[in-house]
Amino acid sequence: MLEATLNLKLLEQCSKCGACFSICPSCMHIPGYDPRAVIRDILDGNHDKWLSSRHIWQCLECHYCLEMCYQHYGFENAMTALRTIAAKKGIHPTQVKRGWEMFVKTSRLGEPALPARKKLGLPEPKASGADEFKKLFALLKAAREKHENPEGKGSE
Amino acid sequence: MKEFAVFWGCTIQTRFPFIEKSTRIVLESFKLPYRDIDGFTCCPERSLVNNIDHGAFVVTAARNVALVDELDYDLVSPCTGCVSNLATVKGELKANPREKAEVNKLLKEVGREFKGTAKLQHLVPFFHDTVGVNAIKQKIKKDFSGMRIGIHYGCHMVRPSHALRNDDPLEPKKFDTLISALGAQSLQFMTKMMCCGQGLDRIDEHDRALHFARIKLKELKSLGCDALVLCCPSCFLQFDNNQFLMEKEGEKFGIPVIYFTELLGLAMGYKPEELGLDLHRVDCTPFVKKWESLSARPPKEDAIDDGLNAPGDI
Repeated sequence: MLEATLNLKLLEQCSKCGACFSICPSCMHIPGYDPRAVIRDILDGNHDKWLSSRHIWQCLECHYCLEMCYQHYGFENAMTALRTIAAKKGIHPTQVKRGWEMFVKTSRLGEPALPARKKLGLPEPKASGADEFKKLFALLKAAREKHENPEGKGSE
Repeated sequence: MKEFAVFWGCTIQTRFPFIEKSTRIVLESFKLPYRDIDGFTCCPERSLVNNIDHGAFVVTAARNVALVDELDYDLVSPCTGCVSNLATVKGELKANPREKAEVNKLLKEVGREFKGTAKLQHLVPFFHDTVGVNAIKQKIKKDFSGMRIGIHYGCHMVRPSHALRNDDPLEPKKFDTLISALGAQSLQFMTKMMCCGQGLDRIDEHDRALHFARIKLKELKSLGCDALVLCCPSCFLQFDNNQFLMEKEGEKFGIPVIYFTELLGLAMGYKPEELGLDLHRVDCTPFVKKWESLSARPPKEDAIDDGLNAPGDI
């Protein structure tokens, strides 16, 4: 439920195209970064080869590939899927881990800088939605468990 | 004009409160019906949240949009990432009724409902479309004629275009129009639409992030650019902070990085310190000094009048 997915039929077309390659900033400026190689491996069933690669995190999510894509699919979707799998295995960059933990804990990626605000004469920041967010996040997790295990039977 | 909530986002409030300050100053001076509302969380940031849990990305953004829907407000943000993420989820849910129903089932339990009625706009297209160039021109006390400005749009101001639908995703114009309205020359340059590369800093690749910043800064320096103007806190971090770090290592570009709201505020007569330009890492005084020296020149019409009134042989 509400999971990232990957469309192999669309990727099949991607393997014959490469429109994104000509405009992707990472393709232009990071040696060895090449969507076409990743797509080929996914289609050959060798996606796990990329899970520990730096390259899957070097996609800047600038959405250029999505704009160029004739299928409006975008190579970034393949990268997102690979990143999600890598993160599930715990092999994602430290800062991504830290950012995610902070997000889950506080619902934000940092708290308003209060002394600086005061100095600038800015008003008190508005109340955050942290409590409601935590409740919602718990509900999402519960809904997923129910979805995977509809009769409530334990796995043991 | 419909009332709108300002979505400040985490980065501005945590790291750059002076951007909030200049944004409030310009919103106030245009007497725009902006509101601060309770209950927002992180938009959430795509690269950190969506990569790990797409569902958390969707429900969090949907909840933020629901807060604005409920009040029958629109939403405006000075952060490109926030608008882009919120709009992406809004687009996804509008296109997938089944997913929308799933999300609303969860939201209902916390007393919310995502409708997707609120218009979500970034501050730059908002100023272009809703405030309008004419209203801006009327507010200018001192324009930027003679100043050479390089615009950095920031990827997420215009992309993904199916969700944002506010400008051309490959060759946007609105930011350029605003800068020209302020009298400055908007430089056209090779790397104008290149991604800033700040994302690389978030995956522990600082040197590569510097490499990306360097490419654009080098080109701007060679063109004699007076300032890089942008409207995204993440891009600001990349060009101001990382440029400063390179300067400390002896690689000097000297390109002041100015937020759109600061530039607008300056044109309207606010002082650099009121707008927080003194809080940037890269020194903005060369920009302000050049601008002041240009405007110290007599106005163009004086020279014409002098010529017309000069003694001659007619």
